[in-house]
Amino acid sequence: MILFENISKSFFDGKKQVQAVDDFNLRIRPGEFVCIVGASGCGKSTLLNMVAGFNKPSSGQILLNGEPVTGIDPRCGMIFQSYALFPWKTVLGNVEFGLKMQGIPRQQRQEIAGKYIDMVGLTSFADSYPCELSGGMRQRVTIARALANNPEILLMDEPFAALDAMTRQVLQEELLRIVDESNKTTLFITHSIDEAILLADRIVIMSARPGRVKDDLRINLPRPRHVTDQLATEYLDLKASIWSSVEEEVRQNMLFNA
Amino acid sequence: MSRLAQYRTMIISIISVIVFGLIWELSGRLGWISTVFLPTPSAIFQEGMALLRSGILQADILASTRRVLVGFLISAAVAVPLGLILGTSEVLKAVFDPIISIIRPLPALSWIPLSMLWLGIGESQKYAIVFMGAFAPTLVYIIDATKRVDPLLIKAAQNLGASRWAVLREVVLPGALPNILSGLKVVLAVAWTCIISAEMVGASNGLGFRIWNAKDWGNTPQVLLGMVSISLTVLVMDQIFKQLERKLVPWERG
Ligand SMILES: Nc1ncnc2c1ncn2[C@@H]1O[C@H](COP(=O)(O)OP(=O)(O)O)[C@@H](O)[C@H]1O
Ligand SMILES: [Mg+2]
Repeated sequence: MILFENISKSFFDGKKQVQAVDDFNLRIRPGEFVCIVGASGCGKSTLLNMVAGFNKPSSGQILLNGEPVTGIDPRCGMIFQSYALFPWKTVLGNVEFGLKMQGIPRQQRQEIAGKYIDMVGLTSFADSYPCELSGGMRQRVTIARALANNPEILLMDEPFAALDAMTRQVLQEELLRIVDESNKTTLFITHSIDEAILLADRIVIMSARPGRVKDDLRINLPRPRHVTDQLATEYLDLKASIWSSVEEEVRQNMLFNA
Repeated sequence: MSRLAQYRTMIISIISVIVFGLIWELSGRLGWISTVFLPTPSAIFQEGMALLRSGILQADILASTRRVLVGFLISAAVAVPLGLILGTSEVLKAVFDPIISIIRPLPALSWIPLSMLWLGIGESQKYAIVFMGAFAPTLVYIIDATKRVDPLLIKAAQNLGASRWAVLREVVLPGALPNILSGLKVVLAVAWTCIISAEMVGASNGLGFRIWNAKDWGNTPQVLLGMVSISLTVLVMDQIFKQLERKLVPWERG
């Protein structure tokens, strides 16, 4: 469970104060898959970084399963948009990294890592270096690396935004399968409404900066879901209603930054 | 570059060396240039064969190379860990910065008199000169390489549970390694400058000594032979270093 209690965060960039997040409140239940959608610059990454402990809130606190986040927290598995794979480690070396940090013996951790590499379909690339992989394959490795460490919570910051449309669909499909299996609490940031509807149990729409919760929608589409479900009328209706909510914020954001 | 283009470049280079050598040889033989000033390649070659037969040349190359390697390795052994620590700790860097900034501008050769006063002209003085010449630049290269490691990778490692020490060993060191190695390659050249100068000032063998000694006897072929030997030795070491680099950073080949 993730609990945001009156979270505010401001940055001081040289001369002026930037209020990135203002009085953000949210309760995410165990096992829930929550997508945060919002205009760019509204503070989504800032929120995620605070959950992972990379940044401290200016005020308020974040509780993970009742315990406050006080530093960089391995209970959260972070999946970065730019992969952040270790270029000097092979796929196996990357995936087993967290287990190595836990002090799990070599043989055992390679076994566990192998299972997750298999899960993302990269067994034949276990000994390849990240530079030898495509973007989609790299993001698979990142997902396997986070999962192998068995975190309580998955944090994903626009993980598929840098991928081409078709690779993105394949990965979305895989993520759906993985998430259905592992049932981990997941906080997923995206600026794609389609992606949010496809993946989420719940979509949180953020206001333009400073970010707050503007809308909080439950997505009751049945699971398992598939990329092809995006053609159903039910789905399109949802998309239209979410877009009308987001549009306002995007327009405001454009004026604001003009 | 394609295979074919590579061969072409190589052939052009070889022809260039041959033509250049022939012109040099001919201008000596035909009396265009006095061989007292510039001996012909064949004279240098003969001098080389003579010194090889007597074993002097090998001994000199070995002596200089050993001094360079010992001094360089000791310096690297101290500077690499220290640099990694200073590169990741603002506090320690602030402590050491004044000392580094005073030592760094000193040309390595300016240590020669002091080192002779302290250590005489034996082997330890040679190692010390190379060490002093190599240490400060190595440290600066390491600190710089450390600071250029992608901070996102450090975050990722911490997120996966890495301790401070594990981040240093697993992320900062390998992340900085490519830049560390290219820094060390530059420092290796500096180490050669140090040792040749030190041998010229006070030594009884080594390539620097050989050149200086030949000058005293007016033996121009030997002076040039010494210079050619330095050049070839440094080239060979550079190649070995490049191989080592490929071994140590296999992930950069892709
Ligand atoms: N380290 C920082 N220093 C200064 N300003 C920052 C920093 N990080 C984020 N910001 C600002 O905070 C706002 C929210 O950023 P971010 O959370 O990255 O937005 P999003 O991920 O929603 O696009 C932006 O206006 C951004 O410029
Ligand atoms: Mg962002």
